[in-house]
Amino acid sequence: MIAEGDKSYVLFPLGGKRFALPAETVTELARPDSVQTFPHRTPLLTGVLVRRGRIVPVCDVAQVLVGPAAPARKFYLIANCNLESRQELTAVPVTGECELASGALVPRTGQEPPYIRGLLMMGDEIVEIVALEKLIAVEEPV
Amino acid sequence: MKSLKQKRPQPPQPAREDMIVFAVGGFKFAIAAGAVKEIRGMEDLHAFTLGGISGQIAKLKYTLERGGTTYFVVDAARHFQLPASHASRVMVLRNAPTGVLVDSTDRIMEISSLHALPRAFTHEERGWYRGLAVVNGTVVPVVNHNAFLNRAELEILRSGLERVRGVVTV
Repeated sequence: MIAEGDKSYVLFPLGGKRFALPAETVTELARPDSVQTFPHRTPLLTGVLVRRGRIVPVCDVAQVLVGPAAPARKFYLIANCNLESRQELTAVPVTGECELASGALVPRTGQEPPYIRGLLMMGDEIVEIVALEKLIAVEEPV
Repeated sequence: MKSLKQKRPQPPQPAREDMIVFAVGGFKFAIAAGAVKEIRGMEDLHAFTLGGISGQIAKLKYTLERGGTTYFVVDAARHFQLPASHASRVMVLRNAPTGVLVDSTDRIMEISSLHALPRAFTHEERGWYRGLAVVNGTVVPVVNHNAFLNRAELEILRSGLERVRGVVTV
């Protein structure tokens, strides 16, 4: 049962940590597919996937969220991202299976980086809710 | 997981167009066939040395004289910021005094639609490419041929060349 004020989130693992995206933005959890690459200079993008005739950029957010030591990514979480007032699909490589959960967003304390929208309290675990459009804009991986 | 309503994505532009597929540094690219006047070997290229300008436009490697026109030949590997590659062909562009040094040219293919470059790509590639084509499941970037040497770069080159040749234009 979802309490009033609670929202649904998709929790995704990156190594030993979990992060969250609002469930309404997530469209699909896809099996690994062949990422296609071509020359470009946008830091976190590793290539594109072709999904049902559409071209979906792949944004390796693990480089920023957990650093270069993140284990191999197993799935792609495909989510809508608001870029320049338009919704575009973006594939986020994740390291394991995802979970749908609900909870109330705890506002940012101001200490978090700008790509963290808020926090979710899941028992003892604090899960950071990611603002994908801000994460994509990060210029330098940690 | 519930799939939710979303704004309709921009459909690919439905326009049939012939493209020349070429390779640079292990990557395949496509260029509008109509933008290419001639594909030739590396003969008759002259190393580009124009005091001061050579350093400003580092991707410019050679010049080529054809029919009274000086073509400025750009190294595509430098343009796309790739490691040095093994260039063997020059694509001479139509309607611009520009040549493009590439590793090889492959075939002419017809594409039926051009996908916009996703907006997540925000850097130089937005100028490099007109869009992306999908050919038998493979994504091939379609280059913006006007970006190999842009207007400002061509103006610098023209004025530099005139200065060297002592030609005064009114």
